[in-house]
Amino acid sequence: MATKKTYFQGLGELANNPELEQLQHKEFAEKLPTEAFLGDEEKLSESSTSRRDFLKFLGFSTAAASLAACEAPVQKVIPFVVKPEETIAGNANWYASSFYDGNDYASLLVKNREGRPIFLKANDLSKEGGITARVQASVLNLYDSSRLKEPTAKGQKTSWRKADRAIVKGLNAAKSSGKQVVLLSSSIVSPSTKAVIKEFASKYGAKHVTYDALSVSAMLDANKESFGVRALPTYHFDKADVVVSFAADFIGDWLDSGHGKDYAAKRNPNASPMSRHYQFESNLSLTGANADYRTPVKASELGVALVTLYNLVAKKAGAKLVNTPASGYNTQLQKAANDLWDAKGKSLVVAGGNDKNIHTVVNAINDLLDNMGKTIDFKKRSYLKQGNDADVATLLNDMKAGKVGALIAYNANPVYNLAEGADFAEALSKVDLSVSFASKNDETTSLVDYVCPDHNYLESWGDANPYTGVYALVQPTINPLFNTRQAQASLMSWTGLGDDFYSYVKTYWNRYVLGSTSWNTALHDGVYTSKATERSLTRRGSIVSATKALSKLSSDSIDLVLYSKTGIGSGEYANNPWLQELPDPISKTTWDNYLTVSPRFAKELGLNNEYVSNGALNGDVVDLTVGGTTLRVPVLIQPGQAYKTVGLALGYGRQGVGKAGDGVGVNAFALASDFNTTLSNASLSKVEGEVHEFACTQLHHTMMGRDRIVKETTLDAYQQDPRSGNEQMMLETHKGPLEPEKITLWEEHDRDVHWWNLSVDLNGCTGCGACVIACHAENNVPVVGKEEIRRSRDMHWLRIDRYYSSDMTEERAEEEEVSTIDKYLAMEVASEAESLEVVFQPVMCQHCNHAPCETVCPVAATTHSREGLNHMTYNRCVGTRYCANNCPYKVRRFNWFNYSENDQFDFYMNDDLGKMVLNPDVVVRSRGVMEKCSMCIQMLQKVKLDAKKDGRKLRAGEAQTACSIACDTGALTFGDVLDEKSEVYTESKSPRAYHLLEELNTQPSVWYQTKVRNKG
Amino acid sequence: MHYESPIREPLILEDKTLHDITEDVARPIEGKANKWWWALFLFALAAFLWGAGCLAYTAGTGIGVWGLNKTIGWAWDITNFVWWVGIGHAGTLISAVLLLFRQKWRLSINRSAEAMTIFAVVQAGLFPIFHMGRPWLAYWVLPLPNNFGSLWVNFNSPLLWDVFAISTYLTVSLVFWYMGLIPDFAMIRDRAVKPMAKKIYTILSFGWSGKAKHWQRFEELSLVLAGLATPLVLSVHTIVSMDFATSVIPGWHTTIFPPYFVAGAIFSGFAMVQTLLLVMRKVVHMEAYITIKHIEYMNIVIMVTGSIVGVAYITELFIAWYSGVEFEQYAFLNRATGPYWWAYWAMMTCNVFSPQFMWSKKLRTSIGFTFFISIVVNIGMWFERFVIIVTSLHRDYLPSSWTMFSPTFVDIGIFVGTIGFFFVLFLLYARTFPVIAQAELKTIVKSSSSQSKNKSHE
Repeated sequence: MATKKTYFQGLGELANNPELEQLQHKEFAEKLPTEAFLGDEEKLSESSTSRRDFLKFLGFSTAAASLAACEAPVQKVIPFVVKPEETIAGNANWYASSFYDGNDYASLLVKNREGRPIFLKANDLSKEGGITARVQASVLNLYDSSRLKEPTAKGQKTSWRKADRAIVKGLNAAKSSGKQVVLLSSSIVSPSTKAVIKEFASKYGAKHVTYDALSVSAMLDANKESFGVRALPTYHFDKADVVVSFAADFIGDWLDSGHGKDYAAKRNPNASPMSRHYQFESNLSLTGANADYRTPVKASELGVALVTLYNLVAKKAGAKLVNTPASGYNTQLQKAANDLWDAKGKSLVVAGGNDKNIHTVVNAINDLLDNMGKTIDFKKRSYLKQGNDADVATLLNDMKAGKVGALIAYNANPVYNLAEGADFAEALSKVDLSVSFASKNDETTSLVDYVCPDHNYLESWGDANPYTGVYALVQPTINPLFNTRQAQASLMSWTGLGDDFYSYVKTYWNRYVLGSTSWNTALHDGVYTSKATERSLTRRGSIVSATKALSKLSSDSIDLVLYSKTGIGSGEYANNPWLQELPDPISKTTWDNYLTVSPRFAKELGLNNEYVSNGALNGDVVDLTVGGTTLRVPVLIQPGQAYKTVGLALGYGRQGVGKAGDGVGVNAFALASDFNTTLSNASLSKVEGEVHEFACTQLHHTMMGRDRIVKETTLDAYQQDPRSGNEQMMLETHKGPLEPEKITLWEEHDRDVHWWNLSVDLNGCTGCGACVIACHAENNVPVVGKEEIRRSRDMHWLRIDRYYSSDMTEERAEEEEVSTIDKYLAMEVASEAESLEVVFQPVMCQHCNHAPCETVCPVAATTHSREGLNHMTYNRCVGTRYCANNCPYKVRRFNWFNYSENDQFDFYMNDDLGKMVLNPDVVVRSRGVMEKCSMCIQMLQKVKLDAKKDGRKLRAGEAQTACSIACDTGALTFGDVLDEKSEVYTESKSPRAYHLLEELNTQPSVWYQTKVRNKG
Repeated sequence: MHYESPIREPLILEDKTLHDITEDVARPIEGKANKWWWALFLFALAAFLWGAGCLAYTAGTGIGVWGLNKTIGWAWDITNFVWWVGIGHAGTLISAVLLLFRQKWRLSINRSAEAMTIFAVVQAGLFPIFHMGRPWLAYWVLPLPNNFGSLWVNFNSPLLWDVFAISTYLTVSLVFWYMGLIPDFAMIRDRAVKPMAKKIYTILSFGWSGKAKHWQRFEELSLVLAGLATPLVLSVHTIVSMDFATSVIPGWHTTIFPPYFVAGAIFSGFAMVQTLLLVMRKVVHMEAYITIKHIEYMNIVIMVTGSIVGVAYITELFIAWYSGVEFEQYAFLNRATGPYWWAYWAMMTCNVFSPQFMWSKKLRTSIGFTFFISIVVNIGMWFERFVIIVTSLHRDYLPSSWTMFSPTFVDIGIFVGTIGFFFVLFLLYARTFPVIAQAELKTIVKSSSSQSKNKSHE
């Protein structure tokens, strides 16, 4: 038994002297005579401290204090007084949550460090949705310094109570005056939110109008006509052996971000069978770039091509044919039809755009191909897009007519993303009460009466029912940073339901969603799956009117196709600097939208792109006029673009959204008409004397005949010989031909613990860029801005190279006896649109085991690890850049300036809020040092330490990098190649595996897997 | 006694006596500077200050103020470095190698050539320091015992070899130069009338009194240092060339670089000596000592080394083709026909074609033409380094990273600044140092001057 000993401090204490005890509680033994001193005027005036002395003392102490302040500022780390449960400094917590913004859905795990969400990854318990670059970057939106910090009334700060009182008054006034109360939102998949809206609507007689900025309303309408229900099915790209897409960018922004991974599953040449993909489209989309057969089609001829395909399939099926003019793409369509028919029931025809007729015909083709219920599933429906364009038109008319008394915009920015945005803005003034829930300033918030800023989704409670039988929860991972309130809570408080949305969700789930499962389990898992299904649907109805409407060719018209980019999408995140600096996967251009024009058409119009002396790209500028609206846009000459069709990305030209997004590009929504993004009769006129400066991360577009950079083969050849396209390279020596790695002066490294390898499957990589953003988030990669990108100084540790094929090849040059100079000049030119092939190749530090960078550093700042990594020691680096020069892969990035805490780089690393997204495990590099991919060494250290603490060996697949986590198509496989159970070991032994620039014998730790095209 | 054939052209003209030489050498030091000197000096000083400002801006803001990018990590910085190091080759070659080969014509030009060497190496040395991202840590490239942990330099790195090569070269050149100056400083000291000047030259001349023992030691040390310096002439630029030759970049990875760089260095060094001496002989009236014959000799060196460089260029092209390596072939084709074709052809014209004019005796003894060619060669050799560095880097292995380089005002400012600095040093030297090694030159008055030759005819 331990006893608590006390020690006395003096004899008085030992004797328990009461006087002493009293004194112990006083600071001074006696009362200080301040009163007596200061009160006595006479004494004071006699005091020797004169006014001058006082000033001297003051001066001295000020000087002393200022001198002391000359030290480096001390930043204090304050320990928790009461440590929150589950939070251990230095350890990350992961919380399951969900993302849905009206466009993309993803089930997430949110990494939380010291109370800050800093990284997102896919929730393994969910198969649905996908983490795109945009979802990955959404964590930075939380720390956007331009977020609204409190409610505002007519632009003035206000309190929630005042705002609530005024809004409820307004709503009641609207109701009593018989005017409409309208809630205008993007698609909502949250059942509890819908319940709240329902209660709100019943209280105020409100109307809920839904629209999607990237609308598929026509598709819903077509489905209603074909199947009787206005619904979207789920598409099974993972079951489709043949995919024919008519301008549907399903890897990009078509319906669902989960299509990419489903598609990629069938792109593996070992899949049974590997799918074959036809794409008929006008712009070169990310999906088109991945296709086996891509046919550039003038936008206004796409309808005829589709009807022709219908006829070709109908002929095989013995169905009735329809009349249509001859399509110029018969050969390709015939081939596609043959393949489709051969894969009946296992094929898929999809179409993009917002034209009901197209979707009606697509439904008919899929029906003929027996795909309904197989690759197209109406039993499990998708609720991700519910917008109805007609309702918006009605609303706008009602607003103009003064019939709308109150309008609440929820997750909607109609002034920006409606084609009639200007009309809407004007009509808004006729609405008595207008409210926006936007969490950031946008084009609409500046015009509404009240802005009641919503939480960021990482601060919110919520739920989602994105597909039939699939439920997901959203939970907050940080306390709200500002005085904001969840939109649902606002609606609830206006309805008189209190403002506790958490309880509401919980009650709703317990009552309607969860069966025997507990709330805590569901919250932990983040997703909950029920067995519920919708009924299956059969097609009916005729396609005659649809085909008639489509059977028009107008070869004279210049068509315009508006599209959305993987980074910026519909423009909601235009103020996210990561996304602005994420190069477009096709054009490799950052911080811009532009008119994509085919090389042939550009030549006819006299439009030029040229490189200036520092290599940057300049482009001509045109006035683009469609339907009476004119925009001044720069021209980017885009190989693969269909002749006489031009493309322009949506989501740019934002106003007043913040420092990164303002004034980047032009707003193309203004050109759309009735939500239709395919437009005819555009006209272009060159603006003389005006030049636009582009910022591209890749300026040279072809492989220059260096076919060993991206090795390719066809599926047939691969099946005959798995090494086809990847034949062993031999170098001639005096001992006869030898493999490059046999010729070496170097000593081998010891490899006895781990040997980290990364395998990049060029068939799996769709080029989407999610890995690039994941790398930014994990490794604190700085954003440098347009001007620096223009100077070829992007800081991306991981880049995705995109190469176009060229019509000039070594063989052709030899055959046609083209001179070497002419050959190389011709090789710089991308193929004609019809024969263009595109490849994507992610390139990061190759972690060479015989690294050229390591030998040349004079101060040994870059060294090799026993685990096969090429280390970079920032502290030791003096910045000679020799390593970067000597890197054959050019993956090293130099800190030309101080990118953090520098107002010249006003993106996020210079403000306290933005800095919260930084990963505390990774140092922020100072200027003058080299940096590069570390294979996320901090993540490797973490799993190694965990294993060590548990006293076990690392499990196969436990070690991951940010990019390998982010890649949901499985193109990036990371692991320990010494562990024979690991996936990367198998990949490294694959006959498709090769090293980039193998002939240099750098012996990289990164493998590439030959690209196999299903072409025959 | 050295005997020289009377039909050899004299190396000292105008019947100069020993005393005349003393007077001629001491005149610029003891006299006042003319306005040309001041004009040049102020001009050079302005350029130097401008360059210093640009350097300060770079060090304060970051290397980003230069035109470099992720693909082209070196451009004007290392181009200038190699250019200046190359220029710094002639001095040692003239004083050491020609001493060993007993070329008496070196005597009237070696002092200035060596001064030029040292000043050029000083310029060169600025670049490796200031091209660093963190120049304040430049001392980390020295193998200094430290308490940062077990940190040591990387002896595999050619940049580290550079550190040793350049510092050794600078040290040996400086000692050699200074040693030669001692008897001349003593001469100035003995003539000095102003107490301050006398004091300074007393210190500088190390108590030289012209004793036989002094002369004997002087001669011995000359030979020893010449022996030391001679391999350095070859080693410095060999090692500089290894910065490129040991790398993997097509256009850099070339075994021909060491001899080719050394030849190029001598080539450019002699051109710079010509540029300087042609002006100096006029301004400080040294026509009697730096004769047409000297100029002709140097022109012959320029012609020979220029041709060697030309052969090297052609060999590179041949090897690129012969290697069968597509990257190599493209690198050289790209040099000649790519976006930087103008730099390549500027180099070819200046370095290979222009020295061929020196086959003509008339042209190589023309002062105006020599001056013109010396400038052309200097330009050409700058372009050679630019071509090697930038055109190799801008299009290497993966076409995805290909881009271009364009200098900023800071790049240009720093280069101009080093030229300014160089001339500031050289102009100060011309006013305070004996520009001709008069003590040594006097040794050939009896054998190779016009005076002696005329006497022997009589």
